[in-house]
Amino acid sequence: MQIVASGLTLGAMYAVSTIGLALVYGALNMLNMAHGAVLALGGYVCFYAMAVLGLPAIVGVAAAAVICGGVGLAIYHLAARPMLNSANFETQIFIATIGIGTVIENVILRLFGPQPKAQPLNLPGALHIGHVAIPLQNVLILAVAVAMMASVAWLLGRTRAGRAIRATAQNREAAQLMGVRIGRVYAQVLALSGALAAVSGIMISSLAGLLPNVGADPMLKAFVICVVAGLGQVRGAVVAALALGLLESAIQYAVGVQYSFAILLVIVIAALIWRPYGLFGRKQVVRL
Amino acid sequence: MTGVRRDVLICLALAAAMALLPAMVGTRYVITQITLFFIWGVVVTQWNLVLGVAGIFSLAQMALFAVGAYGTAMLGYYFGWPMPLAMLVAALVTVAVSMLIGLACLRLRGPYVALLTLAIAQVIYLMVVNDTGCFTNPPSGCMPLFGGVRGFSRFGDLGFRAILGSKWFIGQYYVGLALLVLAVLFSILLIRGPLGLAFKALRDNPGYAMSRGVGQLKYQLWVFGLSAFFTGLAGAFYAVQFGVVGPIVFSLTMLLFLLAMIVVGGMGTIWGPLLGAALLMLADEGMREMGDWRDIGLGLILALFVITLPRGLAGLRR
Repeated sequence: MQIVASGLTLGAMYAVSTIGLALVYGALNMLNMAHGAVLALGGYVCFYAMAVLGLPAIVGVAAAAVICGGVGLAIYHLAARPMLNSANFETQIFIATIGIGTVIENVILRLFGPQPKAQPLNLPGALHIGHVAIPLQNVLILAVAVAMMASVAWLLGRTRAGRAIRATAQNREAAQLMGVRIGRVYAQVLALSGALAAVSGIMISSLAGLLPNVGADPMLKAFVICVVAGLGQVRGAVVAALALGLLESAIQYAVGVQYSFAILLVIVIAALIWRPYGLFGRKQVVRL
Repeated sequence: MTGVRRDVLICLALAAAMALLPAMVGTRYVITQITLFFIWGVVVTQWNLVLGVAGIFSLAQMALFAVGAYGTAMLGYYFGWPMPLAMLVAALVTVAVSMLIGLACLRLRGPYVALLTLAIAQVIYLMVVNDTGCFTNPPSGCMPLFGGVRGFSRFGDLGFRAILGSKWFIGQYYVGLALLVLAVLFSILLIRGPLGLAFKALRDNPGYAMSRGVGQLKYQLWVFGLSAFFTGLAGAFYAVQFGVVGPIVFSLTMLLFLLAMIVVGGMGTIWGPLLGAALLMLADEGMREMGDWRDIGLGLILALFVITLPRGLAGLRR
């Protein structure tokens, strides 16, 4: 029970950061390596707003989401847009975002220093079900994650903007011919992904503490989840995130914390050899 | 003059110039930095074979470098092997590891390969750092099998200290130079030869290449295996050059630094990566005083070059 609870919390946190990555890849074929740094930035903005400026929690979260959304927009306009039409866009944007991520991470390091900080957004107390105690913090994270996923699902499935995003992901040229302004879709997707990263960063740092590189590990896991699910598959990513979260906490319990990530990756490599396009991905047939 | 001859001649001329250098500049710092340039030069020319020529987006190169370095250190530390033998065996082990990695990402494309190879490198790193059990208990304290966070030291050297005394670093300089010249000649012959053609064909149009009988399995294993030999040897030489091997060789900053060299110089070209290595080491030297700003500078250089000059400096000529 305790394992299931912490596994679900982990999975939910992963899911929120993974959705952003999967959306961006689905729409632009872009792997955003700066995602981890944006995650950390979100955590720090919330920390700064609450601990230094003394603002209420909701303002801190909103500020983080807005600023990280802005960073996402900046990444689109400064890096992705100029090279969208080049032949190796996927490789180039990958390298460019590694560079951007390094810059963001080190700017945070300069501003806040290398000492870990505690995220002030914290709910004390625990929920007791039978003789299992689940910290309220975990309950809150789970609730926020579910709410975020539901609103993203609503956005994608029920709104005009969501339809444009899905159309662009399916077929860029066809969407453009139907009058979708794909430039705007890209900008929206990157901004949304930045905002999701901010919320996810706040949740992760409220459990793990704040460090400039706090985003690196969740980002790697988010990528692993994306790859397992099939890049660009948003719904598959959520399922895979929850499954990997549960699996991770089970391995941590059974074998030990230091091996959990390694075992996870071995499983992932096996899965990739079995299904190279991801568990939920469709095999692409190449015609000459 | 054919392309091969011209490139080989350039390579030999540069090598001759570098060989005369220690007679003119004698300071130990400069010589050691140039030796380090030789090491990075070997790594980037070999990485370029996979990344630029074969177009496989592998990020495992630093992990392979680490295999070479750790292999040498461990063979020397645990078995007391003479260093040249340990280096050679470590390089061969690196080839085997690299072919395994090539096999694992055979059916993957583009960014999937990058993620998988990055993940493999991370797993190796985590296994090394998180291993706290003692494998042996020397007087200096507990020693995990892979050295843990501290890494290895005192595993032997190439014996230049005994021959040249305080000028030992000049001997190392020439070993590094020889290694780089061999690696560059190797990459010239490979890029200009039939294997290079096959790699480029698979990079530019895998479908057509395969239908003309250029099998992906065979050539992917070739490029991973061949490029790993000198990478492993460079790692091994790094180990004997500095006398210490620690988990820092896995760090993302180092990976970024070398990737930036290739990107700045020009992926897929013969001289681009070397040019990039020289420029970035000079830039790094210039930023040394700036501490944390160094990484920011590196990141900016990387992003700016990809955005404005995607073919690198070598691409300017065309």
